Formats: sequence, C-alpha cells, structure tokens
Amino acid sequence: MADVIEVGAARGDAPPPAGGRLRRRGATERGHRATPYLFLAPYLVLFGVFGLAPILFGVWISLHQWDLQLPNRPFIGLGNYRDLFSSDSAIYGDWWSSVRATAIFTVLSVPLLVVVPLGLALLLNRSFPGRTFFRAAFFAPYVLGVAVIGLLWRFLLDANLGLVNRLLGAVGLPSDTPWVTDVPWAWVSLVGVTVWWTCGFNAVIYLAGLQDIPAELYEAARVDGANGWDRFRHVTLPGLRPVLLFVLTTTILASANVFGQAFLITQGAPGEQTRTVVWRIVDEGLRDYDAGRAAAMSVLFALMLAVVSIVNFRLFRYRED
Amino acid sequence: MITNEMSRRRLLGLGVGLGAAATLTLAGCGGGSSTGGSTAAGNGGKDYTGPKVDLKLWNGFTGGDGDIFKKLVEQFNTEHQNIAVSVVTYEWQDYYSKLPGAVSSGNGPDIAVMHMDQLATFAARGVITELDDVAKTLELSEGDFAPTVWKGGLYHDKRYGIPLDMHPLGFYYNKGVMQKAGLDPNKPPATKDEYTAALAELKKSGVQGFWVSPFQFTGGMTFYSLLHQWGGTLFDGEVAKATFNSDPAVEACTWLVDMIKQGYSPANVGQDADYLAFKSGKNAFNFNGIWQINDLKKTPTVQWGVAPLPQIGSQPAAWANSHNFTIVKQRSADNNKVAGAKVFINWLSQHSLDWAKGGQVPARKAVRESAEFKGLTEVNALAPELEYAAFPPATPGLGEVMTTFYNAFNEAALGKKSPKQALDDGVAKANKQLEDNRKKYGS
Amino acid sequence: MTSLRRGVRYAVLLLITAVFVTPVVWMLLTSLKTYADAQQDPPSWLPNPFSTYGYDAIINNTANPVLRWFVNSMLAATLHTLLVLVTASMAAYALARLRFHGRRLSFALIVGTLFLPPTSLIIPNFVIAERLDWIDTLTVVVVPGAASAFGVFFLRQFFLSIPRELEEAAVLDGANHWQVFTRVLLPLSKPALATLAVLSFLTNWNDFLWPVYVLFSPERLTLPAGLGLLQGAYVTDYPVIMAGAMLASVPVLILFVLAQRHVIQGVSRSGLKG
Repeated sequence: MADVIEVGAARGDAPPPAGGRLRRRGATERGHRATPYLFLAPYLVLFGVFGLAPILFGVWISLHQWDLQLPNRPFIGLGNYRDLFSSDSAIYGDWWSSVRATAIFTVLSVPLLVVVPLGLALLLNRSFPGRTFFRAAFFAPYVLGVAVIGLLWRFLLDANLGLVNRLLGAVGLPSDTPWVTDVPWAWVSLVGVTVWWTCGFNAVIYLAGLQDIPAELYEAARVDGANGWDRFRHVTLPGLRPVLLFVLTTTILASANVFGQAFLITQGAPGEQTRTVVWRIVDEGLRDYDAGRAAAMSVLFALMLAVVSIVNFRLFRYRED
Repeated sequence: MITNEMSRRRLLGLGVGLGAAATLTLAGCGGGSSTGGSTAAGNGGKDYTGPKVDLKLWNGFTGGDGDIFKKLVEQFNTEHQNIAVSVVTYEWQDYYSKLPGAVSSGNGPDIAVMHMDQLATFAARGVITELDDVAKTLELSEGDFAPTVWKGGLYHDKRYGIPLDMHPLGFYYNKGVMQKAGLDPNKPPATKDEYTAALAELKKSGVQGFWVSPFQFTGGMTFYSLLHQWGGTLFDGEVAKATFNSDPAVEACTWLVDMIKQGYSPANVGQDADYLAFKSGKNAFNFNGIWQINDLKKTPTVQWGVAPLPQIGSQPAAWANSHNFTIVKQRSADNNKVAGAKVFINWLSQHSLDWAKGGQVPARKAVRESAEFKGLTEVNALAPELEYAAFPPATPGLGEVMTTFYNAFNEAALGKKSPKQALDDGVAKANKQLEDNRKKYGS
Repeated sequence: MTSLRRGVRYAVLLLITAVFVTPVVWMLLTSLKTYADAQQDPPSWLPNPFSTYGYDAIINNTANPVLRWFVNSMLAATLHTLLVLVTASMAAYALARLRFHGRRLSFALIVGTLFLPPTSLIIPNFVIAERLDWIDTLTVVVVPGAASAFGVFFLRQFFLSIPRELEEAAVLDGANHWQVFTRVLLPLSKPALATLAVLSFLTNWNDFLWPVYVLFSPERLTLPAGLGLLQGAYVTDYPVIMAGAMLASVPVLILFVLAQRHVIQGVSRSGLKG
C-alpha cells in the first residue's frame, strides 16, 4: 500500500529544487531521532488499541465459530471462509449477491460523488455575497443522520403515495415508477439520495483544499493568457491532487460501506438485490450472533477493497508518467 | 479457558504493541454465560420476604405501549416495598442486538421481555434461565393459555418464558370507503367469496381495495396467515425442513399475487403505504397487527372497524406472536433477585388486563374471559383468533430463516419470480440455514 | 459582462440550492404538523394546522431525559473532535514532513485499516472496551472512534499540498520541529483543521450503531441513540422524527457556519507568500 499512496501524493513529496533539498536536509538533522516517534505516539496508542488490535482480534474471531454468548467457540480454521466460497452453503448466494449490490452502488455513486462536489466547491470558492448561506445549504443534508434521510426518502419515493411520482405526474411524466421496489430504479434512488446527502461532505473537503493553492499561481497563469479551463487543468487540478486522492479513496470506501440507505429506503427489495455487504455483516454479527462468519466476511471484503484501491492507485501512477 | 489462553498467546505472538493497554486480554471470555442464577431461587414467585432488591427490566415497548407498561410497574413498586423494578426501553431491533453484549458485560437486565420466537435462541445461548418452578407455583398450565403460546415458551422441554400477551394479525376495514362503494360497513367480508365480491364492488367505484405489500409488514405476515389458511405450514414438525413451497403455500401465494394482477391492489406497494392508504381512504381492507388499534384511535377522521381475518382458504388462521417474560442469567447469581423477579412476573401476569389497554390480548385465559376485557371492544374482537393463531415455532436461530421466507414472498409479490419459483428457491435456502442452525445449537 | 456572469452564477446556485434544500424544508414543515396531518393523502406542503406536537413529544417528555442526551452528545462529540485534532495532526505532521524508519509501514498500516468496514469492528471493540471497563461510560463513545485513520490520512494529504517554503524559512531561523508544527504548519492549515473538526464532530454526533451497542443506562445515551425511543414501535411518527432531526441538526449547522469563517480566512492567507 505504502508506495502506492506515496505515488498518488507525489506532488507534495517531489524533491524540491536543489537549494530546497539542502535546506530540507538541514531541517531533518535538527530534530532528535526520537522526534518523529514522539509526534506519532499519541495517535499510535489509540490506533493500536482501537484500530489494529480489533482488526487482529477480528481475524482471530473469523477462524472460529464465535458467539459472544456461547461458552464454546470452536476453532474451525478457514471454515467460515470456505462457506463464503462454496456454492452449496446457505450463505453463498446471499453473500455474493450482497457483493454484487455493493459493487453496483459503488461504481454508480463514486464518479458522481467525486465530480459533483468538485463543481460545487469551485462555484463556492470565490468571494461573493451570500457565500456562507450557499455553503450551509449544500452541507445541510449531510448534517442529518441516515435514519432520518432514509425515512424521509422512503416516504417521498413511494411508488403509489410519494411526492416524487406525484410531481412527475403533474408535469406529464410517468407517475408510477417503482423507485424503491424494482431495479434499476432502486439504484437510481439509492445513488441519487446518497449524492444529495453526502455531496456537501466532499465539497467542504475540496473547499479546504482549494485554500491551499497559492493565489499567485492563478495570477501567473492569467498573465500567461490561460483561460478558465486552462487554469483549472494546470493550476487547480495539480494543486488539488493530494486532496483529490483523499476524496477518491475515502469516497470509494464510504460507498462500499453503504448500509443505512438501503436498509431503510429499499429494504433490500426486490428480493435481496439491494442488500449490501455491510448490511449482511451487521445481520450476521448482531442479529444472528454469528460473529465468526461476520468477521470472515469483513476480512474478505477488506481484501477486495484493498485490491480495488491498489488497482486504482496504479492507474493514477501511469497517468502521472 | 484453554482456548482463551491459547488465543491470547497467539495474538501477542503476532506482535501487537498494545502500549498502554498491555493488560488487555483480548480473548474475550464472554463472562458468566455458563454460570448463572439458580433456577430454584425463591418460591417460584409466590411472594418475596428477603432484603430489598433492585431489579432492571428491559423491554422494547416504545411509544404508547411503553407508558402503559411503566404505569403497571409503578403500581407494582408501590405495592411491594422490598422490590424496586426499573424499566429500560429500547427499540426491538436495537434491543436484540445489544442484549448479548449487555449480559456478557454484566450490564444486562434481570428481567427481559422477549418475543416468543426469540426465546429458543436466547435459551440455547444460555442468556435466559429456566422458569419451570414459576409455572408450577403459579399453577399455570396449558389450560390457562392458548396451547400454541404455552408450548412456545418451551425449549428442550423446559420453560423459559411466561407469556404476557398475544398479538395476532387482524382485519381492518374502512367503513367510509365501504359505504361509498355500496357495501354494508357493518358487515365486513368473512369468506373468500364475500371478500372477492367486495373487492369487485370497490373496484367498480374506482378503489383498489386491498393493497398487497411485498414487505414483511404487512404483506409477508398476510401471506404467512393465508398459507396456514390453505392448510400449509412453514416447517415440518421437527423444524428440520422448510415446507413453505408446498401446494397450499403456492396456492395461497398465487391468490395474493393475483390481487395485484387483477387490479385489486396496485403494484410496488411501499413499506407502510398499504396502511397509510387505508387511513386516507385509498383502500378499504388491510391485514395488520392488533397494535394498530391504538394508532387508529388517534385518528378520529377515519371510520374503521376490526374483525378476525376473513377465511380465504380452507380453514381459519392468523399470524400471531407473543411477548414473554424471561429471567436473565447473571455473572454472579443473586437468589434474592431471582426470587423478586419471579414475584414481579407473577404479579404482572395477573394484572395483564391493564396491559390489554395497550392494544394486546392478555395471554391468561382468566383475564381474557373477564367482563372487563370484553369491554375493550376492538381488542376483544380479535380474541377469537387465538384458537387458531399460527405462532412461529420455538427453534433457535429462526430469525434468518424467517427473513428468507419473507424475501421469497417479496420476490413473488414484486413479480420478479413466479410464486412457485420464489418459494422453491426460498425453501432450498431455508433448508441449508436450518441445517446450519442444527449444527450450531446442537439440537 | 461580469454582471451577466454574476447573474448566471446566482441562477445556477439558486437552482442547485433548491434541489438540496427542498427536502429539508419538507422535513421542517413536517415537524410542525400533527400526527394525522403528516399522513394525509395527498400530502400537503403547509401544516394544517401548525402544531408543536412533534416538538412537545421530545421536549416535554418526562419519561426520557432528552436534554441529558443532548448534553451527552455535545460532550462526546466535542471531546472526540479535540482528541482527533490533536492526535491526528501530530501524526500527520510526522508522516508528511519527517523522515524516519518505518514511516511507510506505519502509514500503510494506518490507511490499510480504512478498508475494514467500521461496523465489523463493533464486536472486537466491544470486548476491548469491556476489558477496559469502559462499557456504558462517556469514554466509550469518545475514544475508540478517534482511532479512525480518516483524520490522519486527511491531514497528511493537506500538509503535503502546503508549500514548504515558510517552514523552511522558520527552520533557518532556528525553530525546532515542535515550533515549526505549532507556529507555522498549524496556522497555515486552519481551513483543513476547521473542516476536519466539523466532519469529526458530525461523525460522532450522528453515530448510531456503536452507542446503541455499548450504552445501557437510559441517562447515558447519546441523542441519536435515544431519539429512536420516542417513536412508537409499529408506526412511523413523522412529526416526532423530523422534530428530533431538526433539534439534532441545528446545532451542527451553526457549528459549520462558524467553522466556515476559518476556511475563508485561508484565502487571504495566500497573500502572505506574495
């Protein structure tokens, strides 16, 4: 993972011109050898206890038939993993259908969640009267919890009673679209609601990132006769690259973790088609009390996400070359 | 403990630098699940004369139900100087998720209210304790309860739950809509022919009379009821095999799905839409839980009535469930607490008439047959259903199997699969789940 | 020309705002309806009559300590945010600016944990919190979540995008790392810190699954974990839910507007380098 992320973050890490390099070396030598570790220590304590330890513990759980309540938690090796891969196990169909649902949602939502907020951030970055109002307006949906937005949209999107179909009907469009009970509409709903809900989240991250781009770079570009698009491509995008990488990575992970929206809005319908991986994990671990299997699913899912991310970062690197 | 030692060493062997938390033992000994309260504590709930005990009770009665329950508990507390019961309420879904953690960490309740179909799961996992002596002292027997409710509290021939109430599915009819369609609002349809005739009349007046929801609430429970009306069952007698793809089941499912095909119901009915449409007069009939009686009373604009489910199939049947009292095993057993808890359960069971005002049918026959209960017109209207109510079987780990059942119906109701195909697929999966559960719980 | 462009900008912004805000306005109006009014079909926009039913159910609720939940949530989210800001900024500084043995490995490990669904850590973290005797305390909703890699990853990427010149100048003036970090980098990072503060606060404020799983006493619940108890088990009580949502979200929105000032301050900062 490490080099992959480094590559994405190349701009910030790239060796500065010769003079800078000398000065930087001076900077490093000034500190004590323990300094970096002292800076890291407070976080690493937290991370060790509540980040790393639970993960290792989770891996250990995944090798057992593990139930918080049962006195016997027999070691079953890779049994939980085998169930996920063998087509005659009870969980096989559910598991892979949830992986499929999660993949569909992620592929559909990530591009929108990376691009739309960037557009919003660019619109809102300039100084103009009312800017704070607009920023707050775009951020407002994200302030609401998933339980609330889920119930709200289930009500608005109801095929027979909902306001959305009613409005569509009023302007002469079909008014019987099954927004929450049939595919592909259910996907449109889930992705649309998620974009509406979390757009503000990524937009504020972009906004913060835009503050770091020195204004003189824009001025220099303008002096060179660059138009708006040129300035975006040659100043804004390179300046945002580390932030962009952050947004892309965390958005993929957030989308892959989708749960509440599907749980409340489509309730998995039709059948199990919109039931996602995290939902499945919660069901196994907290409803059916099979923590071992839930842990195995988590580990497998984490591996899948790691592969996706590595592929993603490799692509980033090629483009940089 | 051997496994715990081994696992701890294995974890440390992986080089986890735990820093400040080096004293952590990650093995996660669940703590006390195998020890626990002696079942013989007290005299089975007759009375309690020991030192004062504080008891924690957990339930899932949010909303109006909870207030009624709390008032009952207050009354109990004033009548019993040496027992103080405090009530904690969580949403049912959260409740079942957090109960195991609470018990294993010593934060659990002394008394827990549970649905009947959860008893076996929690009994098998050693969370709750046996209550045979309570039943004996209280001289409770099958005759005091509906037989299925009484048997539902058993797991491996031992009693784990004392039933508080029963809540069946009822038939709600909108009198205003019926009247507009020229139907007699005081004569709700009671047979298949009457039912379809009424729907045809409603259709003529432009009303899709019976919205079939594809979700568990309420379409799934409606299908559950009809499946039993057609003479089918969900599982075989030992709950070893799923049988909800039998011919009667497929016929019942087809009948329901045809409601949509024939235009008596719109397609793609959303969660709660069937009930909201009922309240706003967009449909006329709704199979819904007894709990909606109190909700409808809050909406005076709706003219409504409630009756036992019409008999669509060859015999009467209705989905039902029951709330049960259980006593939770503790890390360190306190016989006084267990004795006090039994007194409470006994007392509340006898006072369950007040609970009926919360919109549930009391489990105790004596209470049910009292004149006072008969005065609760609407709730009493559903009491006859208890003779033939179809309760879920008492088998551990049934939750996921029921999800499979409801999802199978979902696919059929949304037209994704034919009823036969959807139920066949569901049964194939359910059978594997049942087999897994047998291995896990060793029954 | 410029006034035309400004006009277009406002038109676009207003249109997008309408899309974003309409559902929120719907919620606000629903929170002012009566129970029956909220179930009308067809639904009406304006409450008829305007009612405080939803807010009464929450505020005048004697059975549930709603105010207490609010205070708990405030405390938890504030402490959580402070913990994240302090630990993550220090760690991010080391990872972005310092060279040391094991840097890549630690960063890879930290980011690697992002891949595991947070929900899957609930049971392991529960067992750990139990060993620490933190179950059913404020600490348990403050600390474990702060181990998330999000803050470290976030700040590291921002530090990387900040030009180094000012820090190097400070080093030439004889500043040590701690001084560079606190006097140069952190002030330069105000927009990022303000943003992370809002996001961390919000994550903790809205967190639901974990508090529900580890808090057991009614008086110790956080707001989202508690609000669920106020509605009936079988019927969706929209006015109560929406009133709860309004009460829970307004403080965070105010916090956001306040934090925005720091993000905007960052713009003028770039003049420093001219």
